[in-house]
Amino acid sequence: MTKDYSVELALVEGNPPLRELDEVISAPIDSRPSHKYHIALSITGSLLLIGAICVGLTFYYGIGMWGNNIPVAWAFGITNFVFWVGIGHAGTLISAILYLLRQHWRTGIARFAEAMTIFAVICAGLFPIIHVGRPWLAGYLIPYPNQHSIWPNFISPLVWDVFAVSTYLTVSLVFWYVGLIPDFATLRDRATNKIKKTIYSVFSLGWRHSNRHWVHYEKVYMILAGLATPLVLSVHTVVSWDFAAAILPGWHSTIFPPYFVAGAIFSGFAMVSTVLIFVRKVFDMEHIITLDHLEKMNKIILLTGSMVGYSYIIEWFMGWYSGSPFELFVTLNRAFGPYAWGYWIMISCNVFFPQLFWFKKIRRSIPATLIIVILVNVGMWFERFVIIASSLSRDFLPTSWHYFKPTLVDLGILFGSFGLFFTLILLFAKTLPVISITEIKGVIQGAQPTHGGEHES
Amino acid sequence: MPEVDNDLNLNKDKENKDHDYWRSFRDLFRDKSLIEANQSEFAEGVKDDFEPSKLSGISRRKFLALAGASAALAGVGCSDYRSKGHIIPYNKMPEEIVVGNPNYYASTSTVCAHSCGILIKTREGRPIKVSGNPDHPVSKGKTCAKCEASILSLYDPERLKFPIKKNHNGEFNKYDWKPIDDEIIDILNKTGDKQIAFVAHSVISPSGKKVLDDFTKKYPNTKIYSYELFNEQNRNSAWEKCYGTDVAPLIKWNDAKIIVGLESDFLGTDGNKVETARLFAEGREVHNLEKFNRLYVAEGSLSVTGMNSDYRFRLRPDAQYEFVMSLLNEVSKSGVAVPLDAETLADYSLENFAGKYSLSKKNLKLLVHDLVNNQGASIVYAGRTLPEQVHIAVNLLNEVLGNSKLYRDDTSSINVLPLSKYEEFEELVSQINSGNVGVLIHYDSNPVFHLPHDLGYAEALKKVHVIISFSGSQNDSSVLGNYTLPINHDFESWGDAKTRTGFYSMQQPVIDPIFDTRQKEAILLTWLKGKPVVYDDMIYHKYLMDNWQNNIYPSLNSKMSFKELWVAALHDGVVIFDEAPQSYGSFNKNVLTELQSNSKASSNYLVVLRDSYQAGDGRFLNNGWMLEFPHPISKITWDNYAAVSHTTAKELGIESNDKILVEVGNRKLEIPAFIQPGAADKTITIELGFGRKTIGVVGTDVGFDANILRSKSGGVSHWVYQANKVYKGSGSHKLVSTMEHTMFAEALTENAAKKRKIIQEGTVKEYRKNPHFIETEDPEKMESLYNPHAYPGVKWGMAVDLNKCIGCGECVIACNAENNIPIVGKDQVAVSREMEWLRVDRYYSGTIDEPVTSNQLMLCQQCDNAPCENVCPVAATTHSPDGLNQMIYNRCVGTRYCSNNCPYKVRRFNFFNYRDHFKNSYQQSHLFSLVNNPEVTVRSRGVMEKCTFCIQRIMDARSEAIKEHRPLKGSDVRTACQDACNTEAIKFGDMNDKESEFYKKYRTHELGYYVLEDVNTRPNVTYIAKLRNTESEEV
Amino acid sequence: MNRNQNSLYGVAALFDSPDDILKAAKKVQADGYKKYDVNTPYPVHGMDSAMGFKASKMGYVTLFFGFAAAAFILGFMWWTLAVSYPLVIGGKPFFALPAFVPITFEFTVLLGVLSTVFGMIAVVFNLPFNNHPIHDTNYMRNVSSDKYGLVIEAEDPLFEQDKVVELLKSLGSKNIELVYNPEEEKYSIFQPKFLVFLGIIAVLTACSTYVTLNKFMYLPPFDFMLNQNKGVSQEESSFFYDKREMRTPVAGTVARGYIPYAYTGETDPKEVLSNPLLPTKKVLELGQKKFLTFCSPCHGNYADGKSRLMGQFPPGPTLHSQRIINFTDGQIYNVITNGFSIMPSYKRQITRDERWAIVNYIRVLQRAQNPKPSDFTEIKEINKESGKNVPN
Repeated sequence: MTKDYSVELALVEGNPPLRELDEVISAPIDSRPSHKYHIALSITGSLLLIGAICVGLTFYYGIGMWGNNIPVAWAFGITNFVFWVGIGHAGTLISAILYLLRQHWRTGIARFAEAMTIFAVICAGLFPIIHVGRPWLAGYLIPYPNQHSIWPNFISPLVWDVFAVSTYLTVSLVFWYVGLIPDFATLRDRATNKIKKTIYSVFSLGWRHSNRHWVHYEKVYMILAGLATPLVLSVHTVVSWDFAAAILPGWHSTIFPPYFVAGAIFSGFAMVSTVLIFVRKVFDMEHIITLDHLEKMNKIILLTGSMVGYSYIIEWFMGWYSGSPFELFVTLNRAFGPYAWGYWIMISCNVFFPQLFWFKKIRRSIPATLIIVILVNVGMWFERFVIIASSLSRDFLPTSWHYFKPTLVDLGILFGSFGLFFTLILLFAKTLPVISITEIKGVIQGAQPTHGGEHES
Repeated sequence: MPEVDNDLNLNKDKENKDHDYWRSFRDLFRDKSLIEANQSEFAEGVKDDFEPSKLSGISRRKFLALAGASAALAGVGCSDYRSKGHIIPYNKMPEEIVVGNPNYYASTSTVCAHSCGILIKTREGRPIKVSGNPDHPVSKGKTCAKCEASILSLYDPERLKFPIKKNHNGEFNKYDWKPIDDEIIDILNKTGDKQIAFVAHSVISPSGKKVLDDFTKKYPNTKIYSYELFNEQNRNSAWEKCYGTDVAPLIKWNDAKIIVGLESDFLGTDGNKVETARLFAEGREVHNLEKFNRLYVAEGSLSVTGMNSDYRFRLRPDAQYEFVMSLLNEVSKSGVAVPLDAETLADYSLENFAGKYSLSKKNLKLLVHDLVNNQGASIVYAGRTLPEQVHIAVNLLNEVLGNSKLYRDDTSSINVLPLSKYEEFEELVSQINSGNVGVLIHYDSNPVFHLPHDLGYAEALKKVHVIISFSGSQNDSSVLGNYTLPINHDFESWGDAKTRTGFYSMQQPVIDPIFDTRQKEAILLTWLKGKPVVYDDMIYHKYLMDNWQNNIYPSLNSKMSFKELWVAALHDGVVIFDEAPQSYGSFNKNVLTELQSNSKASSNYLVVLRDSYQAGDGRFLNNGWMLEFPHPISKITWDNYAAVSHTTAKELGIESNDKILVEVGNRKLEIPAFIQPGAADKTITIELGFGRKTIGVVGTDVGFDANILRSKSGGVSHWVYQANKVYKGSGSHKLVSTMEHTMFAEALTENAAKKRKIIQEGTVKEYRKNPHFIETEDPEKMESLYNPHAYPGVKWGMAVDLNKCIGCGECVIACNAENNIPIVGKDQVAVSREMEWLRVDRYYSGTIDEPVTSNQLMLCQQCDNAPCENVCPVAATTHSPDGLNQMIYNRCVGTRYCSNNCPYKVRRFNFFNYRDHFKNSYQQSHLFSLVNNPEVTVRSRGVMEKCTFCIQRIMDARSEAIKEHRPLKGSDVRTACQDACNTEAIKFGDMNDKESEFYKKYRTHELGYYVLEDVNTRPNVTYIAKLRNTESEEV
Repeated sequence: MNRNQNSLYGVAALFDSPDDILKAAKKVQADGYKKYDVNTPYPVHGMDSAMGFKASKMGYVTLFFGFAAAAFILGFMWWTLAVSYPLVIGGKPFFALPAFVPITFEFTVLLGVLSTVFGMIAVVFNLPFNNHPIHDTNYMRNVSSDKYGLVIEAEDPLFEQDKVVELLKSLGSKNIELVYNPEEEKYSIFQPKFLVFLGIIAVLTACSTYVTLNKFMYLPPFDFMLNQNKGVSQEESSFFYDKREMRTPVAGTVARGYIPYAYTGETDPKEVLSNPLLPTKKVLELGQKKFLTFCSPCHGNYADGKSRLMGQFPPGPTLHSQRIINFTDGQIYNVITNGFSIMPSYKRQITRDERWAIVNYIRVLQRAQNPKPSDFTEIKEINKESGKNVPN
């Protein structure tokens, strides 16, 4: 079917009455969980358990349980951290930037994306703590007055991280919650069960849908979006500085911030699509999360994917142009050294496959999309791994070079983090409205006055 | 106080009236304060009754009262005080001990036959570190790694703690000394005319020898057999044949212009390395190019000596004879008179030789040229593993070149008890088999492991009824005996040693026997006293003193009283006196007949057995430090291996780690191979001392026992054999090393070190031509975003003279001992988690066949712009006012970011609590932990650590300086590595002291450069570029 | 919630379409009602102008707190790294501004967001407010789903129930509802329930803190580097039979710099050592200090035997007796070192140099006690120069 993109599409196919929207969106919350749900939860739960056990081992015996060594003192731990922070970017981007750009099609997926952001950032935030092996000392990174009267070193990118990630998590949470308040109110008022009602009352803070509130509410939502946008860009910039601020060849590079941000959006969107494709099926919301949504997402994936590819090319250029033997060596070593396999996985998944999205057929085919976005996730994980492991394993002095091999514990923790992420997603989908009831109501046809409204719909 | 005044006057008058006497000048002049002082003997406010209320605010008592009260309150308040156990002081404090301060005891190491003088550092009577005794005329304040590491075996939790005896079903049971002594004395008395055989290592103690003599006196049919796994017998016998005296002379290495080493690792394991290295390095003084020597080495596999050679020839040992003869031929051609008939020489042409073994003709010519033009200033030195014939030829070569000038005339070696010949051991075995040996005593030796297996010694032991083993712990020989008597460690023993003319070396204990052990001489003396057995732990001490008083002291004709001399001897650790060195006759022409027989090398595979840098002759196979000590050449730890050249590897179709089977005669060995750059083709070099069967937990399953390849009759020599078959074995065995070996493997990484200016080298000629050929960037001129911080006062710096560094790695062990560095074990080294703070980086350049080796000490560079500090989130590593890059262990949370950002990768991380992780917490046993330096933190897991320039030593020096009210000087501090360095390659000092030798001669030397200058970390470790003394102008 | 039927909160009307509600709102606003509110399930465009709102001022809150945060965090970082605990880190200056930019930015955003949202919800909206009259009304249930509602409060000056109802009807609302205020509920923090709750919280917090800090943190793996396995001075040893980590040196050994005293135990040796120290000012001062510390209690401040222990303890003899004056330095040293009759050995308390210094000081005392006539003249000379009046 061909579409004329000059006219804005109906965001919700079939244009249902408002009350029906309530029904549809709160159906997962009211209904008892299905078989499918239980199976899914048990899978993610057991992954989570495996991860927990591995983390326990690490905390008791030490980082020695991992494959890390000197020179490769960072490996899976930080790779996973950067990966999850990256995933965490799509959400705020969709809800904030697209909001500022008046992209109304975002309403269908914004809530979900934000939730994913929060869960991803939670996963990410855990890793630096796991990574030090003695989490009870993580407090040293926080500037609190202590008996040594010593402070954190604000020059260190890791402290920047602490601030960036915690800020990002807090702001995302606030942003998300502010969006949820009116929905909580709606749920409260349609709740029959006493306990549910109390809970929703507490969370809704006694919201009354009053227009004396809406006027400020909309303003603040705009401000939050405005602040979240530079924040979302800054977070991965800071994360990229963990590497760019070091002197290690292959890390010490000025293109890292844009390169990392693009990568983050890239992987983030891929993850959102991956999850949405399942959610819209499981909770049959095809008419709210439409094919058009997915196609639009695929376009962004195509764009960011190309940006990432461009950065890879630039790296080669820099390797040659810097004139430093170390830089050149690192670039060559990545492609042809011991970690060549990782490098080529990364290239193929991040650069080649997304290019297929030039074809509309593939853009609009669910299975193809699914395969590609999963590949993109794999690719982006490997990008981080290659940057970290290959640069470290062969740095300045050839005498200290050594190859990194992950252990089972390493893998266990990686899978565990996925377990945690998807468990949270599932719980979220069952307890909160996965789509913003208020916003969706606001954008369906006939939701706004036909005359007198000084606005374009 | 007016009244005081009055009676003062009264006194005055009175005193003036009668006798005018006074007690001091002040008294005489009626010093008022004094008189008051005399009247009230206590100071003001002290004598009056104690009432805090009355006391003045500043009263001491009031203060104490309040302090006491508040302390009591605090005590009550902090009810949850965690007890750290009792405080146990000395109840009779020894005069020499100040709690918290170290003491030093001069003693003598007997871990090898060289009797180096050592200083043992003790804290409150516990030995914690070994270093060299500067007063010792041979070792001159240096020791070898093994000596430093020997302290571990003192604190080895698996030491034998009491005598044990084998019962009828072959198990050993605990026994007391008394019954054992009784039994054995009876046995000894009952042996009758049967032989009592001692099997010992070389005896270097005159008094110890005397004990054996006394024993022999009482039991006339006693016979003493002594051996060393590696010995100088070939050299000495050759010398005897040539010059008539039984001990080959020592060499003036420092005076040699040209040194030719033939299969001799005289900088590593061959001879007294400590002395040789020092003398050799004197000829590598970059401030004195005139004296710069040139080293040629011809050897089968790369050795420490080979690494330091200016010209190196890959040569299988059995071709060495041909090589020497060809050299003789060549020098005779160039006009040096050689007393060999022409036709003998004619067989040997250097041309053909070079062709046959594909050696560089150019370099050989140069060698001959050098030898001829430096007659009397060159020395050719053959390795001890080479057959006698080679040594004779070498003696001849040196003779004709007039190199006997370089034989030392100030002192010569002495054998207190010459080693037994192999024939004697065959004799012993036949004696045993014919049942003529009643008692066999393993006198702190392990012959079952060391002697050639086809001697049948182990089997023969079954025929002896009484086998007594004196040993620190069960070994391969003692398990076959029926008594094992635990003996003292060196540091618990008395003794003396004589290995050279001109001095005695003294040994004194630094701690009472930790377990129920006895010194081996003491055991014998107790037996000699006969029944009733009364053991006195001073028995050998007394014996030693008597022997000195009666026999040695008179011979010294010293002016001191004996008592003084004895005390002084123990204090200094040596007694130096006038003694003529052994003189030798003229060259005996008759030996030339030995050179008639033309023995050319075969083309079979050749097995070369070498002394181990790590395990010694097996005595150190239970010593964690030595096993984890990276092999100086291959950097492999926890294993020995068969080093083969890569062509040979291709022939055999193997890679490194693959097992190969070596067959010599009917003896067979399966051992992993390792492709050693610069190894001669068809030569398989294996180090001995590994693969002991009976040993403690540390040495279990470490390495492979290559002794089994040896034969009593010997092959080419007792250490060089022609293999009749070598082929690929089944499976492989992972050799773990602290360095990757990919340098030659990839085009990417070839010559990386020089491309990256990590290693900068030149030649003497080049340096003469242009002293500033090293490419350095003056850090002061380099752009930096910020102004550097100022370091007033002392700023510590180090300089490493790569001309003197021979890459032996003694410093590594010294650092381990000083800084409580844990043993991590093979599994951890395999994943590159070794903990040594100090490493010797070894780089190859050139081709895999003719590698040029460069060594570089790598430790924390203490950068001014330390990249590690910027990235630490908790400021756990920062800069000290004296320019040190400090590591604050208990602040470290373990992000490991600092290690990532360290371009030198000198930081080490405790991935586990290694003391707990290694061999189920072997290192956590209380006894073992006594070896740790109390002044240094014992790091736990999750903590990053690194070299601190021995901060504890700096602090000691500083407090000394403060005590003496003088400024701290750079020369006040010596780091552990600096102390240990045999060649004084490591210099340490104050960079702000522009007058110091350190600053003038090293820090600002034109050959000095920093590693990775363009990273602009501004290191404080300067490297003095290595100069190779070659003809060409570039390396 | 149960309502008080006498106190009316207001009249609530429901409308079906955004257009109706917009119309209604305009009308009500035009009629001059002040205390009325419009509740819609989502913000209806144009409503703010219809109700005559001005643009929201929340932005200024964000602006102010954002800048405040930036200023604060910059100042804080400067204070910690340059004032409170300055450390040289990687050769950078104490106040390395470029490195502080990221944190400044993050903190600005954080505080900006939090202050804005908190300000809006708590201050402007005065939420949470769960017992507002219009909660739990049919009206509320509808407006939060699909209807559009308008409520006029009773407190409005123009409010008259019938008129209002009429007005709303006329605006086309089919569903009009009277909303009554809820019953006042009395809460006090002194309710026993609440106090008990507080108590429990307090106890739990105290216990958990205590256990964590005093017990938990001393268990592995948290006790890292707490007890390091190395021999520490004066520590109890679990290994050596006598429980001493400190060992005594082996009898007969000689430590560097401690050649044992040749005449140990001999009260009156044949030959003795000679004094290595010259009586310089420094030495004498040291000698005096040590003499007063160790010797004076028995021998008196002037070595005349008149000591403060007189009578409580067998007196030390005077050192001015001819016999002792005739002692060689070595003999006095020997007495200090080995002791003499009831005088114990002082070799452990007093180092060798100090002993020699004491010997020198004793010599001074002896000299002072038994001066030669020449000493007088000397002293007089000295004092003349120093201008002291000298009695004769």
